[in-house]
Amino acid sequence: MMPAGKLARMVVRNALRSPRHFALSGFGIVVGIAAFVFFLGLSIGVKEVILGDLFPLERVEVVAPRASFLGRDMRQRIDDAVVEKILGRPEVSSAVPRMSMGFPAAGQAQFEGHALGFEVGGFADGISPEFVADEEFAELFQDWEDPALRGDPTRCDPSTEAATGVCGDPARYYCDQRDRTCHHRVPVLVGPTLIELYNGQFARSHGLPVIGQFEQFLATRGGIGKLRFRIGLGDTMVAGSNVKIPRGKQRWVDGMLVGISPKAIPIGMTVPIGYMKRWNREFLGEEAASAYSSVVVSLSDKDQAAPFAAWLERELGLKLADSMGERFATAIFIITSLFVLISFVIVIISAINIAHNFFMQVSERRRELGLIRALGATRVDVRLLVLGEAAIIGVIGGLLGIALALGAAWAVDAASAAWLPAFPFKPESYFAFPFWIPASGLAFSIVFCVLGGFLPARAAAAMAPARALAER
Amino acid sequence: MAEPIIKIREVCKTYGTGKARTPVLRGVSFEVAEGELVALVGQSGSGKSTLLNIIGGLDRADSGSVEVLGCDYARTPERRLASLRNSDIGFVFQSFNLLDHLSCLDNVTLPAAFSAGVSHSQSAARGLETLRRVGMSDLAHRRPSELSGGQKQRVAIARALFCRPRLLLCDEPTGNLDSKTGHSVIEFFRALNRDDGVTLVIVTHERRVSNVAERIIAMRDGVLVEGEDGSLDGDAGGLDEAALAGAPVPEDSDARAADAGGAT
Repeated sequence: MMPAGKLARMVVRNALRSPRHFALSGFGIVVGIAAFVFFLGLSIGVKEVILGDLFPLERVEVVAPRASFLGRDMRQRIDDAVVEKILGRPEVSSAVPRMSMGFPAAGQAQFEGHALGFEVGGFADGISPEFVADEEFAELFQDWEDPALRGDPTRCDPSTEAATGVCGDPARYYCDQRDRTCHHRVPVLVGPTLIELYNGQFARSHGLPVIGQFEQFLATRGGIGKLRFRIGLGDTMVAGSNVKIPRGKQRWVDGMLVGISPKAIPIGMTVPIGYMKRWNREFLGEEAASAYSSVVVSLSDKDQAAPFAAWLERELGLKLADSMGERFATAIFIITSLFVLISFVIVIISAINIAHNFFMQVSERRRELGLIRALGATRVDVRLLVLGEAAIIGVIGGLLGIALALGAAWAVDAASAAWLPAFPFKPESYFAFPFWIPASGLAFSIVFCVLGGFLPARAAAAMAPARALAER
Repeated sequence: MAEPIIKIREVCKTYGTGKARTPVLRGVSFEVAEGELVALVGQSGSGKSTLLNIIGGLDRADSGSVEVLGCDYARTPERRLASLRNSDIGFVFQSFNLLDHLSCLDNVTLPAAFSAGVSHSQSAARGLETLRRVGMSDLAHRRPSELSGGQKQRVAIARALFCRPRLLLCDEPTGNLDSKTGHSVIEFFRALNRDDGVTLVIVTHERRVSNVAERIIAMRDGVLVEGEDGSLDGDAGGLDEAALAGAPVPEDSDARAADAGGAT
């Protein structure tokens, strides 16, 4: 058998001697591998954005199944004891309760010169500030009414506050009309879904500006203090509401939008849970102040979701909320599979094309193959020579395909950065190319090319040298 | 007589199947001693090229035994046979069979690609030396397409000699050459045989080639028509004119054949 170095040298020389054949054989492989790498990179990238940033699969939400009797809510109660039990599970790395606003509330705001009114009750909840401790706005998203943070209340006069500025920076502090003391504005988060609704429908129909990158949006409007609003606790915009809070009990607090987070309620506003507990206690009583609407649970591994859900139902009578992440993951999986299937079909067709080209080439080179047999090549040598040429097409075609995919990905990202308007969580790149994607692209390319060359190689090796040399 | 390096016994070969079945060799037997220069003559279709291919291991006999350079082909694995072709047997073809995408030097050193014993630098040096021997070293880096027929055949001969074979099998080596060039090729073969002791078996139609042979093995319809002493068997079909296109048996061939030993 030929020494490996000499075999490699002859394979390279043969492969490069016919650029036309090389291009004809390699074109499909380049396209197929480019499609494979591009779509896989796109799906992984999109998955990272959607599932990593927006709907992490390892984060699940525990809720009580709906149950009612004679119109009365009979749902399982979720309280601190339940949260403790959940935290005791080995697969659970953290459990953060959410508390819904259980009473009516209405909001008022000035936004871009427009007076906006909106319902807050039913569209608000509270979460622990620790849940968003790693976000940029974490410093502002605090329970500022916690005595440890607030300290001794500063007396103020609401009618003169604007002139005296007793409470400090008006962007963050206000003078409460009822207790006539200074308060930090209630920090509020909204979810990207709400921003999408606003950008997609509301802004367009009301001629309002689209919110792109939140920080940029704030900066152009003079900073965080400009997005503030009032919340009428106990008030409502729903005329037929059955929950009537006496007018004397209603009161107004000032809020400020501090950030956009996927951890916020999808449609509505999220405040630190301390506010929500106090408000629910104030308007509904102690029972409402200790019952959570859900618990956000982070699992150590997303594969633990199923056994955890089984335990929840069996031991606590609770369940996991329908996960948007899971739906997106399924959709992404289906779309990815489709694209990968298409790229595989392209590669398989390319392999057939390679087989056809190699059959032609073997036929054209019969005398040459006969000659090298006469000069000492074995059948194995001939087979390896043909397969080696196919493998070289695989290597070069695969590398070109990978380069094409990376180039196309770069072009898409550049086009997105240049031409697509900014939107929440707009990624810098829609693609992720972990090492295994180009590596498997290259491997597939080589494998399919070698498969394509297999039958022609066998035919070449089986050729009788005397007959091959007799060809004219 | 020197030790025979080719022993052919009752070799038969048939091509095709069914109605297309054509017997090409029908029980051919002969021996060639080391150092002989043998001309294998016969009409087209007489089986001489097939016989040459079988001797060179490029084709397999259907039956009979073939032993070349001590290797019984029926018992020799393919790898050993390839090694034999690579290092001990040289081939020269009528149509040169040079690879146009390679330079003359690369064509000559092609056998080294299938041999582990010769390094790249060694093969280049040896290739140049072999080209010098056939008077082609000045054109070592030319492509075959830039050469005349005679030059191409010299390069092809250099390739056949690259591994310093003990046996050179030539199939119509002067068939595509003009008479002057053909003559020089024949003279080269003669010198090679005389000076280096290389055994040559030359398939030819041409009298000028058979003239230099020590022995002529004539074939007709797949059988030998040669006398025991190496002279042509006149009863075997008037090969002197028909097979050799009118070429008489060379004057000195009988004496040479007698010296070298006859075919069986």
